[in-house]
Amino acid sequence: MKKFIKIGKISLLALTLFSMNSCKDYFDLTDNPNLVQTPPLNALLTTSTHKAAFNNYRIAYFNNQYSQYFASPSPGSDTDTYQITNNSTTWNNLFYALADLYDYMVKSEEAAAYHHLAVAQALTAYELALVADTWGSVPYSKAFGKEATLNVPYDSEEDVYKAQVDLLNKALENFKRTDGSQTLSEKDDLLNGGKIDKWIKFTNGLKARVLNKISKKSSYNAKQVIAAAQASLESNAEDVGMVTFDGVNPWASISRSNLQNNLDGWLGSNFINQLNGETYGIVDPRVSKITEKTVHGVYVGTVSGQGNVGAANTVRDECYISFNSPVTSDASPLTILTYAEVKFIEAEAAFRDNNKALAYTAFLAGVKASMDKLTVPAADAAKYITAISVGQANLTLLDIFREKYVVTYTNAEAWNDVRRFDYKYKDFKLPLGAVLGGKFIRRVAYPSEEITENGSNVPAEVPLSTELWWDKP
Amino acid sequence: MKLPTCLSIAVASLCSIQMLSAQQLSIAGKITNAEGEPIIGASIFVKGTQQGTSSNESGLFTLNAPSNGTLLIRAVGYAPHEVLINGKTNLSIQLQNDDSEIDEVVVTALGIQRSEKSLGYGAQSVNSATLNANKQPNLVNALQGKIAGATISSTGGAPGQGANIQIRGINSIDPSRPSQPLFVIDGIMMDNSTSTQGGTAEVRGMSNRAVDINPDDIETINILKGGAATALYGLRGANGVVVITTKSGKAGTLKIDYQGTVGVENVNKFPKMQDTYSQGWQGVYNKDDFWPAFGPTVAEAIKLDPTHPSSLYKPFEEAFDSGNQFRNSLSFSGGSEKFSFLTSVSQLKHNGVLPATDFKNYQGRLNTNFTLSEKLKGGSSIAVTNSGGYRGNANRYAEQLIYWSPRHNIRDYVLENGTMNSYGETDNPIYVAHTNRFKDDVLRVIGGFDLTYSPAKWVDFMYRIGVDAYRDNREATAIGYQGLADERIVYDNGVEGADGRGFYNVYNNNFRALTSTFIATFKHDFTEDFNATLRVGQDIYDRNIKRTSTEGGDLTVYNWFDLGNANILKAATYNEKYRLVGYFGELNLAYKDYLFLTVTGRNDITSTLSKNNRSFFYPSATLSYVFSDQFQMPEAITFGKLRLSYAQIGKDAAPYSTSAGFAPYTNLPTGYIGFTRPSLLGDPQLKPEFTNTYEAGLELKFLQSRIGLDLNFYNSVSKDQIIQVPVSSTTGFVTASINAGSMRNRGLEVTLNTVPVKKDDFSWNSDVNFSFNRNKVLEIREDLDDEIVVSSEYGYLNSTVSMRIRPGESYGTLYGRTYKRYYTPDEIAQGLDVTREYDESRPLLIGSNGFPVLESTNVPKKLGNVQPNWIAGWNNTFNYKGLSLNILFDARVGQYRYNQLGNFMAAFGEADYTTNRNDYMTFDGVLADGSKNTKEVWLGQGKDPKNNVDYGNGYYRNYYRGNSQFFVEDASWLRLRSVSLGYSLPQAWLENKFVKNARISVIGNNLALWTKYSGYDPENSTTASGSNIEGFAGMTYPAVRSFLFSLNVGF
Repeated sequence: MKKFIKIGKISLLALTLFSMNSCKDYFDLTDNPNLVQTPPLNALLTTSTHKAAFNNYRIAYFNNQYSQYFASPSPGSDTDTYQITNNSTTWNNLFYALADLYDYMVKSEEAAAYHHLAVAQALTAYELALVADTWGSVPYSKAFGKEATLNVPYDSEEDVYKAQVDLLNKALENFKRTDGSQTLSEKDDLLNGGKIDKWIKFTNGLKARVLNKISKKSSYNAKQVIAAAQASLESNAEDVGMVTFDGVNPWASISRSNLQNNLDGWLGSNFINQLNGETYGIVDPRVSKITEKTVHGVYVGTVSGQGNVGAANTVRDECYISFNSPVTSDASPLTILTYAEVKFIEAEAAFRDNNKALAYTAFLAGVKASMDKLTVPAADAAKYITAISVGQANLTLLDIFREKYVVTYTNAEAWNDVRRFDYKYKDFKLPLGAVLGGKFIRRVAYPSEEITENGSNVPAEVPLSTELWWDKP
Repeated sequence: MKLPTCLSIAVASLCSIQMLSAQQLSIAGKITNAEGEPIIGASIFVKGTQQGTSSNESGLFTLNAPSNGTLLIRAVGYAPHEVLINGKTNLSIQLQNDDSEIDEVVVTALGIQRSEKSLGYGAQSVNSATLNANKQPNLVNALQGKIAGATISSTGGAPGQGANIQIRGINSIDPSRPSQPLFVIDGIMMDNSTSTQGGTAEVRGMSNRAVDINPDDIETINILKGGAATALYGLRGANGVVVITTKSGKAGTLKIDYQGTVGVENVNKFPKMQDTYSQGWQGVYNKDDFWPAFGPTVAEAIKLDPTHPSSLYKPFEEAFDSGNQFRNSLSFSGGSEKFSFLTSVSQLKHNGVLPATDFKNYQGRLNTNFTLSEKLKGGSSIAVTNSGGYRGNANRYAEQLIYWSPRHNIRDYVLENGTMNSYGETDNPIYVAHTNRFKDDVLRVIGGFDLTYSPAKWVDFMYRIGVDAYRDNREATAIGYQGLADERIVYDNGVEGADGRGFYNVYNNNFRALTSTFIATFKHDFTEDFNATLRVGQDIYDRNIKRTSTEGGDLTVYNWFDLGNANILKAATYNEKYRLVGYFGELNLAYKDYLFLTVTGRNDITSTLSKNNRSFFYPSATLSYVFSDQFQMPEAITFGKLRLSYAQIGKDAAPYSTSAGFAPYTNLPTGYIGFTRPSLLGDPQLKPEFTNTYEAGLELKFLQSRIGLDLNFYNSVSKDQIIQVPVSSTTGFVTASINAGSMRNRGLEVTLNTVPVKKDDFSWNSDVNFSFNRNKVLEIREDLDDEIVVSSEYGYLNSTVSMRIRPGESYGTLYGRTYKRYYTPDEIAQGLDVTREYDESRPLLIGSNGFPVLESTNVPKKLGNVQPNWIAGWNNTFNYKGLSLNILFDARVGQYRYNQLGNFMAAFGEADYTTNRNDYMTFDGVLADGSKNTKEVWLGQGKDPKNNVDYGNGYYRNYYRGNSQFFVEDASWLRLRSVSLGYSLPQAWLENKFVKNARISVIGNNLALWTKYSGYDPENSTTASGSNIEGFAGMTYPAVRSFLFSLNVGF
């Protein structure tokens, strides 16, 4: 027995000896040194502005195919023919951006940095619109960790819409506050260079867009749209875009890759036919500033769903995104909102408000702004503007939507207009082999990753020809 | 290993004093093994007396014995041997290996040596000769087919390419937590991770870090499989432990050993390609077309293009070189009673079959053992390794081989100005392999020191400290576009925003792990029949990892690899610290040398869990009952033992699974800083997970150990598994750390060792390993919607195949898109058509156009499981005088793999079966209304010649390639893993020569493969070694068949 007491003593001694270094702090390593706990608000501003611009590009990358600016070089492309596609990566990018914006909101509110808070609110509204206008009902009020759940419930489309309006109004109030603790850094604000007046105009522009989106609803208020549009951008110089790239603008990158035979960025025939005069009988001088002539010296688009026709797909006998265009060059900004678009929103609202004079003025101003933006020679621009100057009495919604269609090229917003206008552009054709029973596409299927990871909350599958909430009366 | 021998020598020398003799002779002799190498420390007795001695370092002994006596020779690991003296005074005695040695001492957890008899769990060991029979440079590969219950796979045939080892299947639902066992070398925990740091490293077949060990340095490897065996290692041993003991010097004469190996190798298996159709689309020939094989027949193409070759090239076969390897290792050992040492150096240069891939390895080792006094003994070991090489992107290579048209000679890949020679828009993969490179360079030290103090017979204290430290420097390089005439931009050789403009990326990984172990051992004999051993101790594991990366894109001088030459720079760092301390105790009770009970307990404290959860305890108990020692057994039964055990093992989380904060947002150009949410949602409330294992085993030996059978059954259930589960991005995160789910593994391991023939100069040993493991996911956390998608790999037309985890299924079930089967309207109303089961007994549903109908992408169907039904190895050794022949078969049956290469080969009209592309056929199936399909269709592209109906892109592109079922293949295989034939020069030739022993051998590895799988060798995978994701065997680095010649000389 004695022996065992001795054993016990010795082992205790030994253990104590070797546990010397195992004091408390030794294990306190749960703080991840690769993460920062309190990032500067201006660094969150950089992330948020960068992501907002890129998310516009990501959505536009596929929804410009629904708007038929683009068509796949491959016949029967899933996107072109309205099949269910998996846009998981884009969905994820948007929700990660929204989560960052939520954190940005919380941190700036804590710091009483109202201008930062306003930016976060405005961009949340913007990116919430990007997801809601694509998929419909989405998680928002309980998302991003607002509630501790891994299976996030969805909000109704109407609630998500109201949230956007609410966020934009709050943002406008917060931009006006002068008692905030921190200012926006010029360098870190990749959209508006830290200028609050530009943010206010931008936010008003977003508000005009959102309010105009419910044009089919009885609650549509044209005067509010006009008011917001008139408080928005006032010249091309005020266009809101982001130009901070690694390398070049992603549209330019597509253009360059296409030339190196990594086929992408083929322009659709509906778009090209509008520009080259085939549809409306007027050659739009912007065509040469958007794309380039084929090897045969003409402008030819690709029919959605048909893919490459004519010579081999590497022979340049159709039109593509061009890195020589002022809107898709290496150094062009990724544009979220343009002055020209704001003018068309104003024109449409005024038209719906029966204020034809205002509608017509805004319409012409929009076309002029677009010509200038694309650096169309003044004479050519004037010739075209004269040709489409139908007079305020004869102005139609088709005129407005037709001209706006050129302006929103490469912008995700275009598909909202196309749907609001029910695809009623002249000779706008269904893609070849479209699978929605002769109907145009109205929404995108929820991505497969989300169905896998949050399946119990994802709304039931409906045909993709089913209109979203704002897309019906 | 040495304990019984030492005891017997001691006894022998005591007794020899009282020796009586009549006609005594002074006998000198030498004891060697079957290979002619001297056996050190064999005991030699005069039969019937206590008179004896032992052999020295050269196997020599001298002994006085009666001239008519018999000598009885025993040595650990060899069969006892008797020799009639018959008046001879010079004897040369060869002992045969005896794997059936009953009371062998084995190295168990934490380096504790215990008699095998007393172990209540199954342990399997592999000795140096078996391990190195097929001369594999990666020790994990060297274990293939030799261990029951271990699934070992090469991820591919690249030099230095990582190999996977799993013991008793997948242990974690979490795909990101490796199910690899812990590697321990001479008591030091050794990192065997596979780092995929750096750009495309994930698909470049990086090494698992066990390649840093020279297999020639290894004396034995013990595999500790279950919870009971690894209990003392604590949570780090939760997936089993590979305990490596390196060779040590023996007291006596100095010994030098040289081993040299040269070898050549070739790809062992290619996919079958069609050779009828040439380049083009819809049957229209164009020698610059993107489409490699949808053109007209070769005969038609020749008529259109006189430059067309008379038959198509074979790009797959022509794109691979023949590889070779050279390996040299030299060891020098010796010492005295007080101090012994072994030092070795080795070198390997291995050139792979994929152009511009290689691997080099230089290793040095010094092991010492010293005895300072009776009470104080110790040892040290240090090994230094420099390894690495150029790693090929086999994944991209395979993809580009698909795009390459067999109309063109792939070997003609470079223009006179040094830029790529190609056609159309296609890249030449060989040119890309030569210009887009990735290289690693590892410098590693593993060293340790141990000291044992034994103040009294009944007590000793052991302390060991070890360090495993390395730096892994990596470089990715690609030359940029120069703008020369005829130069093509190589898209792969650029970065985003600067296509083809070159890059230079630098990665660095610093790793350091300390292992400190203290064990106090106390022994006490209560009575003659009942004794106890108690061990208590502490174990520390302390690891630091620091990684940096700097990626430079868009080079101004196209071929100058300098960060100052790059226009786009990206930099990142990563730091990780991990600490674990365990306190443990083990009590062994032995009764009458046939009943043994061991209980253990261990308490771990980990740095990865929060304060309240970081300390946790778990116990184990094992029982060993050698019933053959208690009861008189029938003559035929030599030995019988029953084993029972229960063990619990806890497991902590990966580092920083509980943390929160903001991570750098890395998509911004230099000069801009942003922060974003990290990808992982940490959970401060994480609890440790626990695995409970029950194990029962039976060990029987028959007919003087000519037949040995070992059966082992286990059942283990892991609860509260810590998983980094992929979550909906609407949470703002990619993954979340949670305690979720439980999983069960149960299985049987059988080893059957037989000696079918045993004659004086001929013997045949046959060892069979057989095992199966049944895995079942019992549950996953409810809010995960009963499904975790672990991984997926792309397939055309949404035929992407995913590996999913669902409760009730085995880990790793593959899902994909299928053709629709026929269901009645009633059945459709019940939703039977949208279940996950794919009912092949139903007729195919045929659309009104006469073709099968592809299933909706929302209804992925279950197509197979990646885990094998059973695995087996059969190792045969034939010895005839100095000749020995070793033949090893290896089988894995019932596993499925997705063959992405096959999917692409179908999509591009390159697979052999696509030669029927211009046939007419009527698909066997029924229409939606249930009536039999009678519509004949054409499989070709465009308008068919008979009816002028437009079939668009044709059957293979419109339907076939979209059906994952065609590409999720039965990847079962049986292979002739290796054959080696060795010849040892007879000792008689080498008497008193400078050369003490010499042996030459020829070895063939991977000589034959029987499988239904249509791609490359199905053993390979597109994921890096160490990954739990093994379902994908498409675009891999092809496996090789190698022939080696080896020379082994001892001085």
